[in-house]
Amino acid sequence: MDMKKVRKEKFADFLATLAEQKLYAPQKVGESLRFAPVTDSGKVELEMSNTTVPPKSVFFPQTETLYRYEVGNTEIQQPAMGGVDIVLGVRPCDARAQVIVDSLFGWDYNDPYYQERRKATVVGLACNKPCVNCFCLSLGGGPASTVGLDLLMTDLGDAYLLQPLTEKGEKLLALAGETVETAAAGDREAAESLHGQAEQMITRKVETAGVAEKLPGLWEHSLWQETANSCLGCGICTFLCPTCHCFDIQDEVEGLEGRRCRMWDSCMFKEYTLHASGHNPRPTRRERTRNRINHKYSYFVQKFGHTACVGCGRCINYCPVNIDLVEILRQVKEAL
Amino acid sequence: MVNVDKLKEIARETISRDDVKYLIGWRQGTYGFRAAPYFMSTPEEAEELIFSPLCTNNLATYLTLAEKLPVPRGQEPDSRKVALLVKGCDSRAVVQQLVEQGISRERVLVIGCPCRGVIDQKKVEAKFPDVREAVSAVWDGDTVVFNLPGGSVAVPRQEVLAGKCLTCRYPNPVIADVTVWEEVAVWGSDDYVDVRELEAGSPQQRWGFWEEKFASCMRCYSCRNVCPMCYCEDCVLDRLNPQWIMRSVNTAENTAFHLARAFHLAGRCIECGECERVCPVDIPLMKLNRKLTKEVRDKYAYEPGVDPEAKPLQASYRPDDKEDFIL
Amino acid sequence: MCNNANPYIPYVATIEDAWFETVGERCVKTFKVTLDDPVARKNWRHQPGQCAMVGQLGVGESMFCISCSPTEGDFLRFSIMRAGKNTQALHELEAGDKLTVRGPYGNTFPVDEWKGKKILTIGGGIGQAPLRPIVEYVKANLDQYAGLTMIYGARTSGDLCFKDEFAAMSGRDDLSCHLTIDVEEEGWEYNVGFVPSLLMDLSPSPENTIAITCGPPIMIRFVLENLKKLNFADDQIYTTLENRMKCGIGKCGRCNVGSLYVCKDGPVFTYATLKDIPEAFA
Repeated sequence: MDMKKVRKEKFADFLATLAEQKLYAPQKVGESLRFAPVTDSGKVELEMSNTTVPPKSVFFPQTETLYRYEVGNTEIQQPAMGGVDIVLGVRPCDARAQVIVDSLFGWDYNDPYYQERRKATVVGLACNKPCVNCFCLSLGGGPASTVGLDLLMTDLGDAYLLQPLTEKGEKLLALAGETVETAAAGDREAAESLHGQAEQMITRKVETAGVAEKLPGLWEHSLWQETANSCLGCGICTFLCPTCHCFDIQDEVEGLEGRRCRMWDSCMFKEYTLHASGHNPRPTRRERTRNRINHKYSYFVQKFGHTACVGCGRCINYCPVNIDLVEILRQVKEAL
Repeated sequence: MVNVDKLKEIARETISRDDVKYLIGWRQGTYGFRAAPYFMSTPEEAEELIFSPLCTNNLATYLTLAEKLPVPRGQEPDSRKVALLVKGCDSRAVVQQLVEQGISRERVLVIGCPCRGVIDQKKVEAKFPDVREAVSAVWDGDTVVFNLPGGSVAVPRQEVLAGKCLTCRYPNPVIADVTVWEEVAVWGSDDYVDVRELEAGSPQQRWGFWEEKFASCMRCYSCRNVCPMCYCEDCVLDRLNPQWIMRSVNTAENTAFHLARAFHLAGRCIECGECERVCPVDIPLMKLNRKLTKEVRDKYAYEPGVDPEAKPLQASYRPDDKEDFIL
Repeated sequence: MCNNANPYIPYVATIEDAWFETVGERCVKTFKVTLDDPVARKNWRHQPGQCAMVGQLGVGESMFCISCSPTEGDFLRFSIMRAGKNTQALHELEAGDKLTVRGPYGNTFPVDEWKGKKILTIGGGIGQAPLRPIVEYVKANLDQYAGLTMIYGARTSGDLCFKDEFAAMSGRDDLSCHLTIDVEEEGWEYNVGFVPSLLMDLSPSPENTIAITCGPPIMIRFVLENLKKLNFADDQIYTTLENRMKCGIGKCGRCNVGSLYVCKDGPVFTYATLKDIPEAFA
């Protein structure tokens, strides 16, 4: 497939060729960066290390109405599904994460809300400057990994190299018309060199092989209590994790208008497993911390064949008390 | 002067006592300019303790965050003390928890660390981006010295200290069983410039300001969970029956959440700024809390968390209390 | 399985009959319901052990075991203990009222595999609700099983569910029903004592027998211990778990014990599966 490039001065025109479609890209929301519908291409922010909130929020919004009803009536109205055509500016780690989450939303029962949105074209943005806590290399990823992407963009400084990876990616480039040009041989080499340099910048590493097998034997290990001691039990690590997918379902009624909706939930919250009887099978942060790590590095592996972590580093970057997944994994590896 | 060796010595003595369960302090974090809360229970572990401009976390929150599991039949409850290192601001949380009887005095041993101000990680990371290694820091005169991999760099305190530290009036612990080194001179004063700036705006401007911030909230509850004054076992915000705040994350519910929390902190917030520090989407929550702090100060001449003998604001009444807020 | 293309959309059902099984703050009410949509009713297939999400629009839904056997007719029964917000609201409902049902969910007791064997159920309190479908199923197909023994206990006689049905079981050679309550009561003519002790008193032989237990965690723990003492093999012992659930279809995450989702991989498990999962009985 032919590589193209779009010069930065033409990037707004390039985005304009996609104006007919529902396009999501990183933008500033409040003080944070996250994926939002593009209404003004000038607000698209690609000079970032990564978004605060991963693009899972596009495919699996934090709050979403499953259906509506009128109180006292049993008629159920499904909302329109889909509504996402292109997600642009996705870092390779987050694209890989979405593929991991696909296995959850597609096993046995299909989740139509999620799967309709997953039909969107995913345009990746290779990392030229990985952040301090990136450890994607330890999980089989990399700054220019193409898993889960239809098109990969690489920032060449004055232009973005556009590398189509699938038919959907090709189609998107076909729309771009005159706003893109054929990439020169040197552009490809420049991109490869940038990818190589980025890999060199990733210094945090952890040996993940064998962790899944080892975790069951560490059930009573002191590391869970030690980690839980300082844990606040907040939802940062799970909400910002691109592979975390747990949700709550609640009925919300305003006047006569009711909706059953789902919203992100966190295994770090006490209420997550609390029975109506008052019994809680995971009564303290120790059990919740242990479940979080086991879920990512053992249970998910047993169930779906891959680790539910891509090494994006968000849980480390944003943890208010410096609970560090790389450090926990190191302790797991070293534990006797 | 900060003397970490002396701190370690006191920690070793303290943790060796039979009536002390564990000691909560700080240690160097795993990367960059972080310190991490550190729970130690043996004298040997004292070696890892630090006290430096990196020690941002208010550890007083762990006094109330500790989980109380039912005591197995036939066993006595563990009534040993928790030893806690506090900066000046942190100590106000301990005082306020005592005032509210959220903790009992005989269960806590306060080790006071007079403080010259802690860093704002974001300011430091902006100055030294891409520092991957764990970096230690010390106070030196009017600077903070960062021991970077390429050598030490001194930066004026003004440029790297957290906003709350620049206006700090309580650098010395207001309660302590032992104070590790001599008190420091107070350098700050606080005339609520940030709150006044916001107050100067029109209602539309103020609403516009907060609407954008609240819209970005993810309701991760890190602000609530880190707050040393948010220690209700059954938080009103978690309740489903009756449900005061819907679980839906949207501007209306997020606003209700933040306002409910702010009101519950009126006359109680001790301005440690932890809520704002931990917020992953940088909502300036201290502007909200400080607005109420200012109201409480102006209307009732009350400041929480300074006098262990005081009554909680909401539990005290004076005939001359202002009532001009009643419409 | 729900036939709807959207697994989150429930069926609307009408309560045909509703009655209280027990009294008190944590009382149990049984609802006999029929799906409104005739096609859904016709296509609905469930087996003993399966569950469904039952709820009300405007309140919420919770997972309950289906407490009837398909051999009883094309209706559903749910025996629901009053505990949280949803169950409190469900208890307000009477015959003629509407509720919503999604399901059936989860795996089933392998009642076909068990043919030719003796079936022993050991229940406590509301834990009899998931066992009742087995009892009814085996009763309806008794010629295919080598017998049915039921041990059931509760705190007081008033806490026993399905009391009326047990009378019909007495005086039959092929069925035996052993009831017990924790403490002596006037007029109570059956056993007094805890379920695990009654199990030891009866000491059933493990030979060609399947034991299924459900009840409060503490009871299950001692029943399992005693079954082991009676030489039941791990794969002869079944139980059914419950955890907080929201989706019922293996997505929302919270019901896991180890790598297994109770809603999908369960709720029926053998002790052979669970004994290696440390949080299974947490």
